[in-house]
Amino acid sequence: MTELTTTERLALYGGGLLLLLGTVGIGLLEIVAGAPHPVSGDGQIVHEALVPITVRSYIILLGLVFWGAYATLSVARSPPTDTSV
Amino acid sequence: MATNIQTRLLGQDVSFPVKESKLAYWLVVLRLIVGWWFLHAGLDKFLAWPFDASWFVGGAAAQTSLGPVLTLFSDGVLLSFTNIMVPLGQTLIGLGLIVGALTRLAAFFGAFLMVFFYFVNGETGGWAHGVVTGDLLGLLIFAMIATLGAGRVLGIDAYLAKTTVVQNHPRLRYFIG
Repeated sequence: MTELTTTERLALYGGGLLLLLGTVGIGLLEIVAGAPHPVSGDGQIVHEALVPITVRSYIILLGLVFWGAYATLSVARSPPTDTSV
Repeated sequence: MATNIQTRLLGQDVSFPVKESKLAYWLVVLRLIVGWWFLHAGLDKFLAWPFDASWFVGGAAAQTSLGPVLTLFSDGVLLSFTNIMVPLGQTLIGLGLIVGALTRLAAFFGAFLMVFFYFVNGETGGWAHGVVTGDLLGLLIFAMIATLGAGRVLGIDAYLAKTTVVQNHPRLRYFIG
């Protein structure tokens, strides 16, 4: 059985949490408490967002930075002990 | 035949069976399709040479959150570097995924490139189709390919992993599938 180490947990849970917050979390909030999102003739959603879309994109970017940092640190740290994966 | 995955996630015991045959099949299909996506994008640029990325790094990206970083690459030596590295990188990432060689390294750089495409395309388009776009999904598929080391399935990485060089330098496992 494999388990995540504390560092892995911090990076992967942190990054995943931010990504999920930016996409699903705020997305749900917009649906429940936000302004209606009428669809324009081109099929585009007219945004009148509760949480500014830029803030939302920064949250997602931060989550991706966590993941990128995790990948980079994994390589910089000690070599893998289990070489079967 | 199925393998029982057993682990702990969010403090909970997690256990579920995975059919190896379907997982292996799926990893190869994903790798080939995503690989062709990037190989095609790279070769297209070489076939229509010269490629000029200034419209992206200097134009489209200028008003976005990544603008301060990307506009540094919009002229001079750094633009020449970008003009070569984008098509070369896309071609090598695509080739790596298709033949399953240095798969994790290729997928990491694929995801790295997708971060720029995701934010610049998203922000210049005003996120008109929401924050979950094709670019973000592409990025997530690269992350999945890297996590699962898809190059080990019908890929060159399966042979690379058995070489003495890799066995003597286990850190290289981070780069191959």
